[in-house]
Amino acid sequence: MTSSGESPSRSEDGILAGISVVECGEGIAAAFAAKMMADLGANVLKIEAPGGDRARRRGPFPNDEENPEKSGLFLYLNTNKRGIQLALDRPEGREILARLLRKADILVHNVAPCERPACGLESDKLARQFPELIIAGISPFGDSGPYKDWKAYPLNLENAGGMAFLAPGASQSPELPPLKAFGDQPEYQGGLHACYAALAAYWSRLGGGEPLTIEISEQECIAAMLELNFMHYTYAGRETSRLGRRILGPWLLADCSDGVIFVACAEEAQWQRMVEVMGDPAWAHEELFKDRLTRGANSDALNLFIKEWASSWKTQELFHAGQGKRVPFASVNTMKDVYADAQLNFRDYFVTLDYPGVGKLRIPGAPARWGSGWSIRSLAPRLGQHNEEVLVGELGMSSAEFAALRQAGTI
Amino acid sequence: MGNTKLPLAGVRVLDFTWAWAGPFATLQMAHMGAEVLRIESEKRPCVTRMLPPFADDVPGPNRSGYFNQYNQGKRSVTLNLTEPDGLAVIYDLVPHCDVVVENFAGGVSQRMGLGYEKLRQYRSDLIMISMSGYGQDGPYKNYLGYGPPAAALSGFFATMGYEGGPPMELGISYMDPNAGIFAAIAVMAALVNRKKTGNGRFIDQSQLETASALMGEGLMQYSMTGKGPARMGNHNRLMAPHNTYKAAGDADKWVSIAVGSESEWSALCTTMSQPELASDPRFNTPAARKAHESVLDEIITAWTSSRDRWEITKALQNAGVAAFPSMSNKDLANDGHLRERGYLVELEHPEVGRRTHIGMPWTVRQFPREVRSPAPLRGADTERCLASCSATPPKKSRNCGKREF
Repeated sequence: MTSSGESPSRSEDGILAGISVVECGEGIAAAFAAKMMADLGANVLKIEAPGGDRARRRGPFPNDEENPEKSGLFLYLNTNKRGIQLALDRPEGREILARLLRKADILVHNVAPCERPACGLESDKLARQFPELIIAGISPFGDSGPYKDWKAYPLNLENAGGMAFLAPGASQSPELPPLKAFGDQPEYQGGLHACYAALAAYWSRLGGGEPLTIEISEQECIAAMLELNFMHYTYAGRETSRLGRRILGPWLLADCSDGVIFVACAEEAQWQRMVEVMGDPAWAHEELFKDRLTRGANSDALNLFIKEWASSWKTQELFHAGQGKRVPFASVNTMKDVYADAQLNFRDYFVTLDYPGVGKLRIPGAPARWGSGWSIRSLAPRLGQHNEEVLVGELGMSSAEFAALRQAGTI
Repeated sequence: MGNTKLPLAGVRVLDFTWAWAGPFATLQMAHMGAEVLRIESEKRPCVTRMLPPFADDVPGPNRSGYFNQYNQGKRSVTLNLTEPDGLAVIYDLVPHCDVVVENFAGGVSQRMGLGYEKLRQYRSDLIMISMSGYGQDGPYKNYLGYGPPAAALSGFFATMGYEGGPPMELGISYMDPNAGIFAAIAVMAALVNRKKTGNGRFIDQSQLETASALMGEGLMQYSMTGKGPARMGNHNRLMAPHNTYKAAGDADKWVSIAVGSESEWSALCTTMSQPELASDPRFNTPAARKAHESVLDEIITAWTSSRDRWEITKALQNAGVAAFPSMSNKDLANDGHLRERGYLVELEHPEVGRRTHIGMPWTVRQFPREVRSPAPLRGADTERCLASCSATPPKKSRNCGKREF
């Protein structure tokens, strides 16, 4: 099944083998945190509401036909996990959760603070009830402060964290709104922050440290990534904006004959080499373009020359011609281009998985090369796939109890 | 609270990183309690020390907000690694270090005598991560890598843009801090593994690969439908309304509003004092709203554009609708919620004085949300760190903390 660049390995060989993780919530944040751990060998149990995670309903779907077992987002986010259904809004559901948490090392969830009491996921109670458990809760605005119960989708959080206000970079269109990036980045960052914090806490617990209760605010994760923008205000009193020019030049997107190229020279030597790649045109020696700041100030003129030059190139050829001379060009890749990228393919980045009823899918593979210990061992769970295995097989429930739970809609 | 040791207390990190992705990785380790020894070149200060914003616009290697934000809680050791006695100091330090982090271009660390095989001679269970643009092997291994090229190559520029318009750039070099967070995860996992197995490990991280890990949904869309995600501004494939709208005030005040259910839609209509819209056949299902999205955006803009963005946000949040102003750096620095939560911290720095910084990106119940120390002056800890690791100082012991550039 697996054709990753890493040799397929058994769970015991995983970097995080032996760690038991329970995941609750919906969508991306907790699922991505737990995927990071699952792909490194942790034993992850995903708990879904009986109706299934909302990522199952979001797609994308093969041929755009909705099917909860075929959502591309869900299939990507939930590799290597086992999954059960459980209604946490019912007492018997919460009782089962408690039995599962008693055996777990880490709980990661993205249930909002105002919804936690109904699901039995209040941090303080959990910490008292399960003194060995590491808890990582992710929410839009954290579990304290005036916004804690506010509602937010990723669009709102990219704005709340200040990332959208700065995009698109160097905009010339003040009438157009701040722009969101693709793919719900606040959720991914919430998940990534929760993952590293939970692993640090686990490491500490192995050495006798107290198990920690971690809270992650997605707004705060995004605001921590704003490069030098935040300090422009607290160090020099300047409000930064997406509007205006780049200070340095060249820095632009230019059309090629079959796509778009990203051109940026941060250093003078890179510009000198770019001039060589362009065949040393006379205009490049004009006073207007004499150094990177002057080129930035005169970018209207500079960009015209560069765009004209780039337009006759094929994107991939220009990308490699530039980088071959150590000029940091990059092709503006579409999804098709990303799949075709020579570097990603050389390093066997994509993992091909064969999904029943869907076919073969190439999903992003290991985010780093480990030598060994990262692998895809199983596909995302079907809804309720491991109900019986976990509840009967591991919690020792009788088949009559199991049937009653199913009858009642708890699973 | 307060008696619990930070989780990584006792872990020492030898930090050869530079610029932005690498220092962001070791910042997470410093926040978690590791002792991070930032090795800085004597000859060439970190590029972020030389970039604005400088405190009060007065330049100086200890005055950059960029450096001071992303190097909180670390120590600074200046060495000349191109000279044998500088390198010898490193080999003296390695036995005292658990983790090495570097973000040179692929292959450079080996040429400098800092490759994993070399360093592990001095500490057999060493954990090392190389954070390069493209990885240690392959056709791009010598290509120049920064955050923006990684965003272009991983599809983030092609999927970003206004409806019907060209690809656009993100506003920040997002793939740098993203690589930093992935590296923090990698190091924490390797530490956990070392505790259980006794083994160190070398990790080869590619910025392009960490960027592409965030593109799973778009790649699946292409795989499943033959078409990648279309550029759709702030719109959403399924939800409507879903946009950032003009608010009253100066030209650049905006508020984001997103509706994900019928009850939220009806609450939005009521808050706008247009309850009849809820049952209007153009808008009474998600598909209908999606089909009439531009009319819908006009109706909402007519309501928002004469109102204050916070007034709109509070009214909608009270009604259970997701809304939030588009925050500038100034808005964030003055935000009461972020201050109350201890996210914004005042750090007293020996050269720039008291400044507001972003502190911990998480809260942990068992210890206070405090940053241990501001970013170090250049070279401030050289002598102390060398002495504490019994390293032989270079012949001319140099403390560059006060050197002007």
